[in-house]
Amino acid sequence: MTLVAFIASHRDEFAARLGEHVVLVLVSTAIAAAIGIPLGIIAARRPSIAKPIVALANLAQTIPSLALFGFLIPLPFLGGIGTRTALVALTLYAILPVLRGTITGITGVQASVIECAVAMGLTPRQVLTHVQWPLALPSIVSGLRVAVVIGVGTATIASAIGAGGLGDYIFRGLAMVDSTVILAGAVPAALLALACDAALALAGRLADPRRRSPCLAIALATILAVSAGAAVWASAAAGGGDVIVGSKNFTEQIVLGELVAQAIEREGLNVERRFNLGGTAIAHQALISGGIDTYVEYSGTSLTAIFDLPPSTDANQVFAQVRDRYAALGVTVMPRLGYNNTFAILVRKADADRLGLKTIGDLNTLPNARAGFGYEFLERPDGYKGLSASYGLRIAGQPRIMDLNLIYRAVASNEIDVTAGDATSGQIASLDLAVLEDDRHYFPAYEAVPLVRAPTLLRYPQVAEALRKLGGAITDADMRRMNYAVDGEKQDPFQVARAFLDKIETHAQSR
Amino acid sequence: MLRDVSIDIRKSETVALVGRSGSGKTTLLRLINRLSEPDAGSVMVHGKPANTWDPIELRRQIGYVIQDAGLFPHMTVGSNISLVPRLLMWPAEKIAARVDELLRMVGLEPAEFEGRWPDQLSGGQRQRVGLARALAADPPLLLMDEPFGAIDTITKSELHAEFTRLKAMLHRAVVLVTHDISEAFALADRVAVLHDGQIVAFDVPAAVRASSDPRVAALVS
Repeated sequence: MTLVAFIASHRDEFAARLGEHVVLVLVSTAIAAAIGIPLGIIAARRPSIAKPIVALANLAQTIPSLALFGFLIPLPFLGGIGTRTALVALTLYAILPVLRGTITGITGVQASVIECAVAMGLTPRQVLTHVQWPLALPSIVSGLRVAVVIGVGTATIASAIGAGGLGDYIFRGLAMVDSTVILAGAVPAALLALACDAALALAGRLADPRRRSPCLAIALATILAVSAGAAVWASAAAGGGDVIVGSKNFTEQIVLGELVAQAIEREGLNVERRFNLGGTAIAHQALISGGIDTYVEYSGTSLTAIFDLPPSTDANQVFAQVRDRYAALGVTVMPRLGYNNTFAILVRKADADRLGLKTIGDLNTLPNARAGFGYEFLERPDGYKGLSASYGLRIAGQPRIMDLNLIYRAVASNEIDVTAGDATSGQIASLDLAVLEDDRHYFPAYEAVPLVRAPTLLRYPQVAEALRKLGGAITDADMRRMNYAVDGEKQDPFQVARAFLDKIETHAQSR
Repeated sequence: MLRDVSIDIRKSETVALVGRSGSGKTTLLRLINRLSEPDAGSVMVHGKPANTWDPIELRRQIGYVIQDAGLFPHMTVGSNISLVPRLLMWPAEKIAARVDELLRMVGLEPAEFEGRWPDQLSGGQRQRVGLARALAADPPLLLMDEPFGAIDTITKSELHAEFTRLKAMLHRAVVLVTHDISEAFALADRVAVLHDGQIVAFDVPAAVRASSDPRVAALVS
């Protein structure tokens, strides 16, 4: 019931996401059909090239979707951030089933039937159009069915590169640890997959010459046309902002995204939201390529993960370095928001109390500690390796690699004993975790800084005005409270951001 | 596979090619409509070398029937029979009349069978439709590759009687491939016996039956 209520209260947004999802799947499947069917026909007629073609399509299929997005983003024309890249990836995935269905269908036609057709004086083209094609059609349609069902599932990941779709809810729900929001994406996606499967099953019956009926064909064509039209309309209704605000895919970033978006809206501009981008590299690429106009980054993350510079604990020096580097890329670094979101090494509060754990160095007294980290933390120069060396940690075994959104729960539910989270995470309090003190000052400064493309600032000076108002306005405690409001109290990030902006506005007026 | 083969087939005679599997009888048949090409030597069809014919043009003048008929499973009986006339853009009434005529000729009631699907037919009925389809554009030459091979004995003798009746009616050249020499004797005007890619006997049935060649005698007994 809460799911229905959630969807009802987010009607317009939900319609837009659903529309985007349907458009992604329909368009990518259509392109895959336009490529895969002719390719399959050629391959079926020349077995020597069938093998390499299928092997290539197979290879594309085995690339994990996030990795594929990663490969595509830096490419010209095909890449970048948003719908186009998602379509390219989804098309690559959809080609294999279509190709297979076509090859199976064409080569599955009985040799004696083909021989008769040839002997009757049909040209090769007529053999194809009158015999092979109609007999292969059911197999081709079932290939399309597989492609669409895979597509509906894979398209949820398109959200990670800002292409929208129902995946937005899944990623947002994961970030907010709110299963209702996850289900708001997952359940409609599953229903959509079932509906598409049923519609194509109907199409498959049409492809069977025995049951071909004009009524059924018209009904199916109508359903397809109406749903495609509705999807295009719904997804188009969502777009068209002056400024595109992005965010990475965890609660604090979504709250920051809302804060920036609403602050800009209060200056009278239309804002489009591209939240839940799947990581620092993707958000950075999006900003550089113009897929988004602004997002909030952390100075230490920019320094080490983007610009490959050694970490530093001097906050002002980090800010100055980062500002110069971004300027060279045509990006303006706006005033710092005020708080420092450095890494926090987390354990269960119960363990901390029982064993008297206070600092990171105390981890060595935690027997058989099992560690788990987000993949970024394991790779980045200011991450696990340096930490381990700096504190002389003796944690046996390889740390597990986990999704950033799951690490807090993993500690709370005893799957692992120690992790590295965000110091401002609302889940620290809501899941009863304890922060170990960084008494050797290993972690560098991670001050929140809004980044804006310079051309955007020139075109819309209101953006600078909006961000100036946010400058220095958010303390560590403010941020932790807002994160907890979302993670712990299940409030809507939109409402949380609005309440905070109201508060600082009245504060400014009363001064 | 075929060596030193020379054979001539006259208008309106039925020639049977008989031999064990691998003897080359089907290959010989396929040379006629260019489903296979000879490495050496020449094939003349309708007085013209086969390799100077456009293969499509050539095949449209030659009917072709195979074992189990090779009907198109996605077309009704009527559509199977009318495919070539349709590709030749015959007027619709002429096609309808031709399908009707052909179905009657092979002993199937048009009203009952025209709309059926191939898998709703018995083996014998499929073979009759296959023959009707081969005759659709009225080709002067008919090639039949084991047309009665997959049919039970009772139906087969029925079809044999039917074939003999049609043969008298149609007056056209028929080349019939079979491994069953008694079928060849029953249906053909002349019988060619193939062995290891060579023709070891080619004569009227009575003469072949009387042959003293051990390779022929082995088939006859």
